[in-house]
Amino acid sequence: MAKPKRILYPVFFMVLITAVYTLILASLNAASAERVAEQESLRLERAILYANAIDATDDAALHQFFVDNFEQVTTDDLSYYRYATDGQVTAYTFPFTGKGLWGSVNGYIAISSDFKTILGVDFISHSETPGLGGRIDEAWFKEQFRGIPLETSPYIRYRSEANGNVDAITGATLTSNAVKGMLNTFLETLMSTERTVIVNE
Amino acid sequence: MSEFIKVFKEGIYKDNPVFRQILGICSTLAVTNLMMNSFVMGVGLMFVTAFSSLTVSVLRLYTPKHIRMMVQTLIISAYVIALDIFLKAYWPSMSKALGPYVGLIITNCIIMGRAEAFAQKNKPLISFFDGLIMGLGYTIVLLAIAFVRELLGFGSIFGIQVLGEQWVNWTLMIMPPGAFFMLGIVIWVTHRFFDDNTDKGGAKS
Repeated sequence: MAKPKRILYPVFFMVLITAVYTLILASLNAASAERVAEQESLRLERAILYANAIDATDDAALHQFFVDNFEQVTTDDLSYYRYATDGQVTAYTFPFTGKGLWGSVNGYIAISSDFKTILGVDFISHSETPGLGGRIDEAWFKEQFRGIPLETSPYIRYRSEANGNVDAITGATLTSNAVKGMLNTFLETLMSTERTVIVNE
Repeated sequence: MSEFIKVFKEGIYKDNPVFRQILGICSTLAVTNLMMNSFVMGVGLMFVTAFSSLTVSVLRLYTPKHIRMMVQTLIISAYVIALDIFLKAYWPSMSKALGPYVGLIITNCIIMGRAEAFAQKNKPLISFFDGLIMGLGYTIVLLAIAFVRELLGFGSIFGIQVLGEQWVNWTLMIMPPGAFFMLGIVIWVTHRFFDDNTDKGGAKS
């Protein structure tokens, strides 16, 4: 004969075990929250330094260098990092975002303070196909953006076009085009309007 | 002791979770394009399966039978979240590479399967061992698939370039279809070589 299902004990049991595990996880989370946040900001700092072509050695030195030389500037419709050594502004780093093939692509682009060259580009997050579009993360692709002059629009052109200055990724045409598109759109607005705002500050 | 040996054999080949029970296929297909990802995923799964089997087994005599699934899910989720927090805090690049798949360990049928089929009926120590070995069986298959996929797709093993510059990457291997082909081949080969007539009755517990 099957025992009738009891109500009270199962409820009590479930509540108890939930409480115990919630407690454990909550304390784990609280204990590591600071470290997680630290790692997250370190990742941004590393990306910004990479865009500015500054070699980052260990994490502590990287953070110190960032705090000493970079300053975040936020205006009404613009947020960027100003890189200054000895009071002399040498570069601006801007966040950019756009639609990739599968999802949004976020990154930073560094521009020299005279708005004449791109210093570098780094990507923070993307969800492109690993091994194909995901190769925008690879050094050979990102390094190509260093030193591109900001003279004639569109600024970034793949080598398949006339006067190309960057190699696209084989087998990832859509991602390549998306990256080019978002960078050119960003640079376009930057050079036409926002540039004057920054210079006049 | 013989009990442990039996569990070991079952986890590794006789009743391997991937090519015998066909469980955990989603993550097998998803993370095997790089060996490092597969390795961390496998170790993560070993950790979660072992500890959730242990906990389920410890609590088995006190757990009301009709809510046991709920309890198991809760226990599994707790360990998965713990693993996720650990990766985020100490290995952010790996956490990013594995993306949502760490959280999806919760839905990996291997863990639930072992909790239901083994831990629910056995003592804690052997359940822990069973979870560990089942996770190991999963890891071995993942690494085998990843080995071929990474080698042909990137020309590297664990990120170290082994095939020279002239190697042309097989893009197909990195993309999802590559995983399907490889998994199919693994299942075929293992059935060809490990097939004995003793287990014709379908899945055993």
